[in-house]
Amino acid sequence: MSATFTKSMARNVFYGGGVFFFLLFLALAFDTMKVLPTRDNSQNITPAVAHGKKIWETNNCIGCHTLLGEGAYFAPELGNVYKRRGPDFIKAWIKGQPTGVPGRRQMPQFNLTDQELDDLVEFLKYSSEINTNNWPPNIEG
Amino acid sequence: MKTHDTIPVTTSVVQSDMDVSMGKNEGDLPGDFAIWIFIFAEMLAFGVLFVAYAFSRAKNVELFNVSQLTLSRTSGAINTLVLITSSYFVVRGVAAIKRGFSTQCAYWLTGAFLLGGVFVSIKLVEFNAKFDAGITMSTNDFYMFYLSLTFFHFMHVLMGMVILACIIVKARHGGYSAQDHAGVETGASFWHMVDFLWIILFPLVYIIR
Amino acid sequence: MKYTSQAVAKPYFIAAIALFLGQILFGLIMGLQYVVGDFLFPAIPFNVARMVHTNLLIVWLLFGFMGASYYLIPEESETELFSPKLAILTFWIFLVAGAATILGYLLVPYAALAKMTGNDLLNTMGREFLEQPLPTKVGIVLVALSWLFNIVMTVLKGRKTTISLVLSLGMLGLAAFFLFSFYNPVNLVKDKFYWWWVVHLWVEGVWELILGALLAFVLIKVTGVDREVIEKWLYVIITMTLVTGIIGTGHHYYWIGTPAYWQWWGSIFSALEPIPFFMMTVFAFNMVNKRRREHPNKAAVLWALGTSVMAFLGAGLWGFLHTLAPVNYYAHGTQLTAAHGHLAFYGAYALVVLTIISYAMPILRGRAANPERAQIMEMWSFWLMTISMFFIALFLTGAGIVQIWLQRISAAPLSFMAVQDQISIFYWAREGAGLVFLIGLVLYICSFFVKGQSHAFE
Repeated sequence: MSATFTKSMARNVFYGGGVFFFLLFLALAFDTMKVLPTRDNSQNITPAVAHGKKIWETNNCIGCHTLLGEGAYFAPELGNVYKRRGPDFIKAWIKGQPTGVPGRRQMPQFNLTDQELDDLVEFLKYSSEINTNNWPPNIEG
Repeated sequence: MKTHDTIPVTTSVVQSDMDVSMGKNEGDLPGDFAIWIFIFAEMLAFGVLFVAYAFSRAKNVELFNVSQLTLSRTSGAINTLVLITSSYFVVRGVAAIKRGFSTQCAYWLTGAFLLGGVFVSIKLVEFNAKFDAGITMSTNDFYMFYLSLTFFHFMHVLMGMVILACIIVKARHGGYSAQDHAGVETGASFWHMVDFLWIILFPLVYIIR
Repeated sequence: MKYTSQAVAKPYFIAAIALFLGQILFGLIMGLQYVVGDFLFPAIPFNVARMVHTNLLIVWLLFGFMGASYYLIPEESETELFSPKLAILTFWIFLVAGAATILGYLLVPYAALAKMTGNDLLNTMGREFLEQPLPTKVGIVLVALSWLFNIVMTVLKGRKTTISLVLSLGMLGLAAFFLFSFYNPVNLVKDKFYWWWVVHLWVEGVWELILGALLAFVLIKVTGVDREVIEKWLYVIITMTLVTGIIGTGHHYYWIGTPAYWQWWGSIFSALEPIPFFMMTVFAFNMVNKRRREHPNKAAVLWALGTSVMAFLGAGLWGFLHTLAPVNYYAHGTQLTAAHGHLAFYGAYALVVLTIISYAMPILRGRAANPERAQIMEMWSFWLMTISMFFIALFLTGAGIVQIWLQRISAAPLSFMAVQDQISIFYWAREGAGLVFLIGLVLYICSFFVKGQSHAFE
């Protein structure tokens, strides 16, 4: 036989390989969606949690903090802040910002109402109860 | 699109890098070099999975041994025979086309294709039994590996069947000859890899305790 | 240039460089805020600066990709662009929409911006990298479709090469996966799961097709190596990209509520992700070594080789560093991630765009290559930016390792902020390296204005 390395075969392998692994990925995603209800704490999603998530998003909290380790690395992890600090501390903290201490990192004042603060805390409580395979390693996040 | 199907590598830069493995010697890699890069990647992925299985098992031998007993060795053994036979058919198919017998080649490959179908059917019955028993990848580490490895391999069999089907269709239309049959060898190489992986996978997951 | 319609690439490239400068300035602001916390507060809080920094990055890279495709597709297809007018119109729409979005970030509180732009109709804002208001997101889809349409129509009426095919596929994937940015379920786990279908499948999937195609094009042009050879390797490399990168998405699914088996799938396949990058390095050097001509544009060759090396270091090596689940358990969400992000984006995507600009811009300005002095300045800027970015990654890696130790491993873990105080020295060093990067970038921009005897076409 003659040694061959043809472009058409390289192309076939590319298409075949790409489609193959994408299908495999879809199969795994399908299984993930089936397993998720046992892990994602979705049974505790209330209208308050939904509203809290929206407050989280529309104030761009992810621009400084991480949530389950994803986001910016400028300010503490908040996926487990409910367990670390508790609801009252969280609300008081948000209300008390910015600290104005010279040279320290500052968190803006977002002017949230009491209702909004309660809902945000509900969202953080829900987040803290997601099964994350024991991440983070300790309470400091 | 340019339609040079076969580019003689002698003119290419690549050639000089591959002289050793791709000269026109008896020891040549059969089929197209592109598939061998792919096969290499696949073997690497499976290899790491096998090693991961071994490590994971070492950490929890008890669980792995208990769970392993729930697997159907009979269907695994039958499937091993089925795949080995299919590989033999593929060998005969390649031998046929080397002598220029397109029709014979197509027959042998069709046989291999049908055996692939048998493998898939047996495997589906097996998967179904596991799902009925409520076993998923999240049940425990053993089942995670069992299902991952066998499903990943299962998809390779399906892929191999698609490749065989394409080759069969082309062979029936006289698309290959004694001189030009790199396509058949390429597909055959992939099929042998699928067979080979199962020959490792079966004892590893079903038998070794 | 060979086809007059290639000229539409020029405004795209200029906009890309201008936005790049903006990105770096905001990066420096953030870098300073890491150590002087109240710098520019409350005028530009960190979260706003970061949003501007990352969004500018995405937008300038997209400008670069678009300009690159408008430049190379006519040449590949051996025909004029389907519609240069559409390309110019798209340019202005994208630029105005992009500028309006950035101004919105800077001038209006984010919550008010969300209200103004109809976020209540469809919640999509406030997720990392996908902070854009709804109209901007729709705009991005339309711009991407217009780009894809223009390119595909050009390819269809002309010669169809592997490079244009791969580039078009990459663009198609870019447009398709961006659609997941419109899906934002309340279920946080699902939200994060599909968020990665935009972010990971972009940068470790379809963008790599674009990267491969651009690099292959430049290598064909500057080395004169047979197209068939380069295109074969392009296929092999992007095959490896998809084989490893698609399932490699799993390395983001370790700790966000998704099933534990992703730790195995993700670790194994993402551990193989450096392979295509390594192949790319070998390939680029091989092609340059076997070159059949001496292209007068030495700078472009340097950028191309730099891309292949830095992409391997940033995306390949630094990615591998923390991709295995047992390591990632401690490294997840620390400065180590930031180190990888910086070096990977610079090495793979910033550099490939600068490569194609370096190759194409002189030709768009009517010469084969820039004058010697301009090229030397350009090469200086390459080394300044590349080395300083490498140091940024090193300092952030140092910061990350100490952070992991103090906050997550030591027997008496410190709180996040206490740790940040401990590692401020790394942040100061990073800011210093950032300033050098800025100098490199300014030098790069200056190199466009250096006069002298330029290389005419042969």
